[in-house]
Amino acid sequence: MEAEASDLVLFFGRFHPLILHLPIGFLVIAFTLEVLSRFKQFQAYKPAVGFVLFLGAVSAVVAAALGYMLAQAGGYNEDLLAIHQWTGIGVAVASVAAFLLYRQQSKKPSLIIDRAYLSLMSVMMLTLTVAGHFGGSLTHGSDYLTQYMPNPLRQLAGLPPKEEKVFNKITNLPEAVVYTDIIYPILDARCVSCHNESKSKGDLQMHTVEALMKGGEDGPVFVAGDPEESHMIQRIHLPENDEDHMPPEGKSQLTDEQIKLLNWWVKEGAPFDKKVAEVKVDEEIQAVLNTLVDPGANMTEVEKLLASEVAPASEQILKDLHSEGVQVMPLSAEIHWLQVSVPQNQSGDAVMNDLGKVSEQLTWLDLGGTATTDEALAAVSKFKNLTRLHLENTKVTDEGLQHLKDLPYLEYLNLYGTQVSDEGIQQLAGLKNLKKLYVWQTQVTQEGAAQLQEALPGVEVNRGLSPETKDTMETAEEASDTSEKAKELAEN
Amino acid sequence: MRQGYRSDYQREEHVILMNIFQELQYKNIQYETRRHFLKKCSSGLGAIALGSLLGCDPFSTTKASNNIVTEAGPMAPRFPHFAAKAKRIIYLHMAGSPSQLELFDYKPELVKLDGKDCPASLLEGKRFAFIEGVPKMLGPQATFKPYGESGIMLSNRLPHFSTVVDDVAIIKTMHTDQFNHAPAQLLVQTGSPRLGRPSMGSWVTYGLGSENDNLPGFMVLVSGGNTPDAGKSAWGSGFLPTIYQGVQCRSEGDPVLYVSDPEGINRDLRRKTLDAINKINEKEYHAMGDPEIMTRISQYEMAFRMQTSVPDVMDISKEPEYIHQLYGTAPGQASFANNCLLARRLVERGVRFVQLFDWGWDSHGTDKSTALEDGFHEKCRQIDQPMSALIKDLKQRGLLEETLIVWGGEFGRTPMQENRNGKEMPFKGRDHHTEAFSVWMAGGGVKPGTSYGETDEIGYYGVKDRVHIHDLQATILHLLGMDHEKLTYHFQGRDFRLTDVEGKVVKGVLA
Repeated sequence: MEAEASDLVLFFGRFHPLILHLPIGFLVIAFTLEVLSRFKQFQAYKPAVGFVLFLGAVSAVVAAALGYMLAQAGGYNEDLLAIHQWTGIGVAVASVAAFLLYRQQSKKPSLIIDRAYLSLMSVMMLTLTVAGHFGGSLTHGSDYLTQYMPNPLRQLAGLPPKEEKVFNKITNLPEAVVYTDIIYPILDARCVSCHNESKSKGDLQMHTVEALMKGGEDGPVFVAGDPEESHMIQRIHLPENDEDHMPPEGKSQLTDEQIKLLNWWVKEGAPFDKKVAEVKVDEEIQAVLNTLVDPGANMTEVEKLLASEVAPASEQILKDLHSEGVQVMPLSAEIHWLQVSVPQNQSGDAVMNDLGKVSEQLTWLDLGGTATTDEALAAVSKFKNLTRLHLENTKVTDEGLQHLKDLPYLEYLNLYGTQVSDEGIQQLAGLKNLKKLYVWQTQVTQEGAAQLQEALPGVEVNRGLSPETKDTMETAEEASDTSEKAKELAEN
Repeated sequence: MRQGYRSDYQREEHVILMNIFQELQYKNIQYETRRHFLKKCSSGLGAIALGSLLGCDPFSTTKASNNIVTEAGPMAPRFPHFAAKAKRIIYLHMAGSPSQLELFDYKPELVKLDGKDCPASLLEGKRFAFIEGVPKMLGPQATFKPYGESGIMLSNRLPHFSTVVDDVAIIKTMHTDQFNHAPAQLLVQTGSPRLGRPSMGSWVTYGLGSENDNLPGFMVLVSGGNTPDAGKSAWGSGFLPTIYQGVQCRSEGDPVLYVSDPEGINRDLRRKTLDAINKINEKEYHAMGDPEIMTRISQYEMAFRMQTSVPDVMDISKEPEYIHQLYGTAPGQASFANNCLLARRLVERGVRFVQLFDWGWDSHGTDKSTALEDGFHEKCRQIDQPMSALIKDLKQRGLLEETLIVWGGEFGRTPMQENRNGKEMPFKGRDHHTEAFSVWMAGGGVKPGTSYGETDEIGYYGVKDRVHIHDLQATILHLLGMDHEKLTYHFQGRDFRLTDVEGKVVKGVLA
């Protein structure tokens, strides 16, 4: 294992997993036939034992030889490997010896030889089992068999109860230890299954801090403070189909957020004991860290609402609405929130009754261009989960707007081309989630818009261009004038 | 015996009658050729494909059921894979490909290199459409300055656009596989450089249906005096049912050719004619099961409705004067400005996909009209005001949030001056370039005031966050609420998609 193994050796070595099941099969059959042939009714099997034993012995020798070659590749746990190697060789030796004794016995039967033969066969079976088990542990990991063992069985086998790999959920972010609470859970989920004690691909183990510090065959895993020079960070950034990309193509990949966190940890010097409060955290990382405490941390209230579950509306009501000419469907295939659009040749007033039956699910409502009046808005006031409301070019007035003041999630309200005025929109001052309000071609003035914006700093009131069309033209001309200056600057 | 004869005779007669009947049946079966059989099969497959798309697949785990929609026909509006940011899209395709170096990609280093020989390293192993030997580098033929709160650098060729720069996301590292117009346009519009694939608009209407019963879901407007090099395949439906193909409207004369009734045919007579034709077609459909027959019926019906809806939507003379001033439009012309205004009118009425092509951007510098210092200025002037007005107008109507606008050519232009046939050209021009060009997006779900990706010092190659055509397409579908890997159609034994086997959503431009 010290010297580099030649390609040819490794090439043949890789046939080990292909061949190794032959001796297992042959030798088990040989043993079974031998035992059975000692009963009268199965006596006829006796002659077959020799032939099967011969095949088993030959394949065991070949498998052992190939296995030795494969071991030259390295990367296996040495203790497990030693047991597997020597028991494997043991199987080969025992099977050859058993075959020789069998021939001896068939030529010159003697009780002593028969005893020796039988005990050799039993020893062979035992070593075969041991070799097989440790071979499996080498490739699949030592807890492969027991990983999903039910707890009662585990108790019988003297194993500790199943370990739920749940890391402590972070509740107090500044006090969380960066490596233990944030970074290691990522490594554990995405890296450790191939880089651990029993399986260390690329001669790298990542299951403990010491192992991680040691690095792999390409040297250290990271350069503290320099993500760009760190192998781990380089590899996770490669395109997924790149041979050096980690985790390998086809395995579960890191999310963008996890990549950001790993990058941040290395950049901040790869500390193992520092708390979040002791490390520099920029805005972007803070946003990602917040989601560790609360998955909805970066979502608006409206986003949280739409991400929550709602019971589906009844099929019959949807069908009824549809037959009335109303376009109604879920926002997407995954959720039951409804978007409704009333065709322009209809009046919103007429369908409000039926829409009331889906008031819980209704979240986008488009009444734009319809003959909708204030009357309909009284019904809209019951659509508590409404987030987007189109009322442009309808007959609604200031009076109707009072019905909208209790829609807690309303985010988008389009009132352009209606009779509303400054007075009317002030009634919306309580809509804390309102972000966009369109009042082009209404009586809303600059002052009225400003007044609402004062009450609701998050809202953008769009009064449109028409009154200032001339201004924008001038800005454009100004822009081309100043570009002359820019030209001078560029030339200097 | 006589009795027997008689009955025999009767029997014979009966047999003859049977034979005629059987023969007829047989004849009928003979008409059922292998083609019919295969057609029946394909309609079945089509139904399965549509069914799975609509979430009616019995194996799908989709929660929401949407049977109502399937019964409603192929153009009925459908819900997307996930909640959409944009419900509609306007794609402004600058056919011929404008130079990114004179518009969006500011490269001060290139100013210094102007007139110097192009280093050999940039030419090794590269193929260009026209450049031969060693060309000279060509500095930017425009000046740049930061605009808006975002401080994005823009050229002085786009004074109006500079006022809306905070509403757009510019991708500077687009790259493509094709350096000739037709295949490159097909790659942008259909996802493949060869003919035969459905266009983006067809995919989108196939996926989402249309919100307007009286207008096609996918409409195409062309300006600049020529259709794009890729021809009408750029808005063809490929192997998708033809109901999803783009309908081209003209801004001059009849908006759609032959949509108005011929002399002597009034609307009642037209209606009666259609009813009769539809009945025959329905019979044919029940016999053959070919979905194209249903397409034909609904197209006839659509055309009938379009006789009133199209002249109405295409008539921009009713727009108020300040809107004409905003766009710089003049009714009756076939201009990009008129098409921008029409695009707004179309999306306002719920048309799902509006595709504009503007021809005349192939700035090789072979003559005055393609010179960067002459014809290019005029082209910029033609688009600058209307495309900016489109953003402003959609915004004041509250439509920009639900409408996606995409602007771009099919490839970029070289940082080297073109030297066709190895000679110096009379005018300044640039050759086709696949490695770097700029595209901008605005509206529904786009992160406003963004500049995405970086090219090298001379704008030759994207060095950070490169975006392939398939990535752009994946992003567009994503914004419309569709997963580009799930929007598929089974054809000739396999599932096809717009992005073929590639494409990654560009998260950096998403709001």
